[in-house]
Amino acid sequence: MPERAWEEGGVEGGNKSAQQIWILILPLRFYSCATLPKASNFSAPGVISKRSWEHGCRAELDGARRDPAVSASSVASLPRARATRAGRWLLWEGGPVLCPPFFRPLTCAFSASALSFPHQEGKQGFGDPFWRSHATVVVVGAPALCRRGSSQPDEAHMSIQSRSNPSDIPHMSDGQVWDQAFRNHSIHTCLMEMVLSLQQAVADHITQLATRHQQQDLVPEEQGHNQPIWGQEALLGRLMFQMVNHLQFGATGGQKFQPPCPSEDSKGDVRSREQAQVSKQIYKIFYQLTNFEDTSINYVLSNRGVETSALYHGSFQDYNTYQGNKYHEDKNTLGFINLGTSENKLCTDLLTERLSRSDMNYIDDDLLQYSDWRGQPFLREEVAQFLTYYCKAPAPLDPENVVVLNGCSSVFSALATVLCDPGEAFLVPTPTYSDFVFSAHLYAKVDLVPVDLESQVSDANTHPFQLTVDKLEQALLNAKLEGKKVRGLVLINPQNPLGHIYSQDSLMEYLEFAKKHSLHVIIDEIYMLSVFDESITFRSVLSMESLPDPNKTHMIWGTSKDFGISGFRFGTLYTHNKEVALAMSSFGYLHGISGITQYKLHRLLQDREWIDNVYLPTNHSRLQEAHRFITNELKSSKIPFLSHGSGLYVWISLRKYLDPCTFEEELLLHRRFLDKKLILSCGKTFMCKEPGWFRLVFAATPLLLKHAMQRFYTVLVEQEQDWVVKQLEDAINQEVEDLPASDASQSYSREVILTSGLEGCCSDLGL
Amino acid sequence: MPRPRPSSPYSARSPSPMFTLPQKESRKPTTCPGSVSTRGLHSIYGDGLEREAARKPDQKLLYGVGDPTAMFSSDSPHLSSRGSIIKWFWDSAEEGYRTYHMDEYDEDKNPGGIINLGTSENKLCFDLLSRRLSHSDMLRVEPSLLQYPDWRGHLFLREEVASFLSFYCKSPAPLKPENVVVLNGCASLFSALATVLCEVGEAFLIPAPYYGAITQHVYLYGNVRLVCVYLDSEVTGLETHPFQLTVDKLEMALQGAISEGVKVKGLILINPQNPLGDIYSPGELREYLEFAKRHALHVMVDEVYMLSVFEESVGYRSVLSLEGLPDPQKTHVMWATSKDFGMSGLRFGTLYTENQDVATAVASLCRYHGLSGFVQYQMAQLLRDRDWINQVYLPENHARLKAAHTYVSEELRAMGVPFLSHGAGFFIWVDLRKFLPEATFEEERLLWRRFLENKVLLSFGKAFECKEPGWFRLVFSDKAHRLRLGMQRIRQVLEGKSQVAEDPPSCQTQEPRGPHR
Repeated sequence: MPERAWEEGGVEGGNKSAQQIWILILPLRFYSCATLPKASNFSAPGVISKRSWEHGCRAELDGARRDPAVSASSVASLPRARATRAGRWLLWEGGPVLCPPFFRPLTCAFSASALSFPHQEGKQGFGDPFWRSHATVVVVGAPALCRRGSSQPDEAHMSIQSRSNPSDIPHMSDGQVWDQAFRNHSIHTCLMEMVLSLQQAVADHITQLATRHQQQDLVPEEQGHNQPIWGQEALLGRLMFQMVNHLQFGATGGQKFQPPCPSEDSKGDVRSREQAQVSKQIYKIFYQLTNFEDTSINYVLSNRGVETSALYHGSFQDYNTYQGNKYHEDKNTLGFINLGTSENKLCTDLLTERLSRSDMNYIDDDLLQYSDWRGQPFLREEVAQFLTYYCKAPAPLDPENVVVLNGCSSVFSALATVLCDPGEAFLVPTPTYSDFVFSAHLYAKVDLVPVDLESQVSDANTHPFQLTVDKLEQALLNAKLEGKKVRGLVLINPQNPLGHIYSQDSLMEYLEFAKKHSLHVIIDEIYMLSVFDESITFRSVLSMESLPDPNKTHMIWGTSKDFGISGFRFGTLYTHNKEVALAMSSFGYLHGISGITQYKLHRLLQDREWIDNVYLPTNHSRLQEAHRFITNELKSSKIPFLSHGSGLYVWISLRKYLDPCTFEEELLLHRRFLDKKLILSCGKTFMCKEPGWFRLVFAATPLLLKHAMQRFYTVLVEQEQDWVVKQLEDAINQEVEDLPASDASQSYSREVILTSGLEGCCSDLGL
Repeated sequence: MPRPRPSSPYSARSPSPMFTLPQKESRKPTTCPGSVSTRGLHSIYGDGLEREAARKPDQKLLYGVGDPTAMFSSDSPHLSSRGSIIKWFWDSAEEGYRTYHMDEYDEDKNPGGIINLGTSENKLCFDLLSRRLSHSDMLRVEPSLLQYPDWRGHLFLREEVASFLSFYCKSPAPLKPENVVVLNGCASLFSALATVLCEVGEAFLIPAPYYGAITQHVYLYGNVRLVCVYLDSEVTGLETHPFQLTVDKLEMALQGAISEGVKVKGLILINPQNPLGDIYSPGELREYLEFAKRHALHVMVDEVYMLSVFEESVGYRSVLSLEGLPDPQKTHVMWATSKDFGMSGLRFGTLYTENQDVATAVASLCRYHGLSGFVQYQMAQLLRDRDWINQVYLPENHARLKAAHTYVSEELRAMGVPFLSHGAGFFIWVDLRKFLPEATFEEERLLWRRFLENKVLLSFGKAFECKEPGWFRLVFSDKAHRLRLGMQRIRQVLEGKSQVAEDPPSCQTQEPRGPHR
């Protein structure tokens, strides 16, 4: 039956032709392994339907998948009818009908029916249980390019790279897997476009090959590929590579970067690494295939280059989408509202005014020349004074201990590099600021070991997500047991995303803990001046009379958050350790700030009167107001949240909207927000251990916030309705399964029951 | 879990590439740089020096695999292994520069201070630039400039860069903004490219002498090494000029590196060359590119002195002007305003590559190499102002460069000092070999120190990995009065009239490697 479906589709026959190109793309994670065996029971077109994409009705798929007896044609007919609506989906859905013969394997590749690929039967076949549990990988093969006329694809060329072992495969239910895949619109749009261009490229290639065939008598085979064909192949490779990247990020979706941590929840770590490797593999395979006479394999990027790109794509996809389609109150009311990126947009008027004053526009020869790579002396002096004043340091801070670079990410990256060797680690209480995960990894190749905090309040946990020395000890011990060398502890105070502030006593405890284990402590106080609740006292680590281990205490600050000028690119390190300061100086070459910018910053930080009398009071009152608005909204809709009067965000729990409460569901909810053009950051990004937490940035204008909250509620209402529908479906399915199963026509009746049943229920509910 | 291995790229090597025979050391690139013992490096350093001294002069060096950490000798309890090396970089880099900063020449306040003819900066046009940058069109402040940007650079700037490069590089077709990545200087660009194109321990080919700071740029984060293709001052065979780069030399260096087990991923070309001031003809350029294509190497062409060709007869051609590049997907062009607009403090550099994978990968690292939104705005304004550039800035800049160049070259001729200069760049490559009692790098350093003690800072050939001791780079793009004084002080040293004792006591200090750019 399934096999026959394919034979009828003509794959078997077409394959015999010499021009056959085999491009086989096995379903990636989200065309999940879990669904493969079942899906193999009906032909490709049925699997991907527009309707399921819209997650309107799962019954069709679920029903089909649950029942092996469903005939290929009956299911296939449903989506094909809808395909007209779906436009480009035709290519996927109606593959055998629409595509020229050579293209069929590709179509089949995207479907689960690759399982029954004619030449992969038996032990090596994709139907083999081994591949079912390993088929997380794309296989690209074009044996026809290498061995013309061979009717059997060479086994070696069809090499399948299995990356993961079974335990790494995420266990999702079928429905989740599918929905997760289909909600990811942007990726799919990209993919479709690529598939189309790929199709074009393949067609061109065939033409090339065909032309060559005609000349075959004249041209000896050994001469190999000529130039245009070579170019074609390169193009194919590139397209494949891009597609694979998209597929992979469809797979992990907006999951952002998976922290490299040893905890149980962190299988993603392996995955994200794999992604890079997988992409690499594609290249490798492709080049092996096209260039197989040439033993030296060349890729454009290094492994780490591929990984960097991949990581970046995965992490900033939403952000890039936002950049391309920003909300604007007049010009683009349908654009994305970004409450995911922590930026303070409440005081741009004040800063624009201040920065436009004439004292800012000073140009001097010195500013245009190479300067001290640690930062211009005038700026470092100003920073030292500024920090002395606002951190209430007991003694004036020393400009020689200040290093100035272009942003706190750069500071962290450079600091991680000089404090750790590759593979060594920092402890970090989670949830934590996602950028550190990124920065630790990209250049520095330093791992972060999470100290998982819990929302549950207990005896040892007097408030949610409390950090205690016990937890630090435990995490350190675990890391050691796993052979990790831990070099330091990273603290963020005020905390991001919790908004929490460490009391002086607890801070001291953490510092003592670090001293005891001779760990460096990196304290990020970038929200130090964004404590808007006056009842709260923030104490900087620089205000402490005596630090347990001053030589290993390093403080990071920048203007991005406290002054809302993230586009300025300024971050600074204050360390008592001269050696660290000097080592950091080498990075001035790579993370230097323009002299002109340094001058402006110097003027800005110098203007205490403006800061104390104009900027800070206004900023705080505006933050308070925005915060009040958001918290009232959340309270009235009974959404639990954490907020401590500092930072630019609230940490909200949407667990009750997740069923089951998993990271997959969290991601789906995140995607739903995206569908409604609202960007939030989900907990997974912050390495939060518990699914269902989101960070919502409130430092935006009231109008924007109001608009955003409307979108927010729309999504939550939809989510609830969906939940109800799902419950009903399950109930109906249960009933259907209890029906006696005897003949093939049963599947049809089952569909009818499902559909009519659902419609009945839905109309009852008024959905 | 990577573990330290003795054969990491940090492992000890002789201080400079001193071998003519391939060394079969096991120096396989590993994925775990750092965490290696740095003990014993010092002794090897000493050993290397002996070898260096003992080397017979008739032996010809063809290539050398650089090891930036060869001279590294200290370790720190607070820093990681690589942190210690990075700190050492800083310490050793700063001697000349630090001395200079402590005692900078100032006409009024410190007339006895040091004249800096070592750092390649154009100090001739600050008046023009300050005026232009103070124009009212430069002073706009927009909220979008204050917020997180597109990490590739604001689109308005990338568009401007693309059209600027199309115009000044005379590209056959308009260049595209999506192929442009903007970052804070070419140093960052080298770092990012090294990281995304090479694995740890892999290498780039580079014709030496070359702008020495690249060593550090590709090493700091990237852990990538440079394989020097040594060029000769002597003109032999079919060569037409000193220090000529030929494909044969490239081939030999590449084969040599491969025989040592070093994987070479690319070729760095600087055009106009620093420190030689050489310009590659389109024919030569194409040969090098073909060579790279044959071996599937990336080519990074640093054209940072592109608009500083002050001799019109020279006929400079950018690689972007070539029709049909041999391997456009592996040709990456770098440019910056540091030199051509004399704004090294501004930190603006840009990459042009048709390869979207490379552009994207570099952009992924731009988070760490971003530049302020304001500066991006100002740069866009500056590059857009073709009238000012063509009618005010470039003619004036070239005239001033030419005048300064004429003055310095005449002085050198009068002193009887041979030199190389090709009408491009800010520097003259001076041959002081006859002033060295012995042809060693020790003597070269001593001479350099004598200059410094006579209050003039130059860069010596070793800092550019020149294999012949006795070459110095002299930067002439400075104001006339400083230049005059500087030349006077140089003359004093060369004529043995300097006030300073012949034998300076500070022989133990480390070798300086300055920010010579």
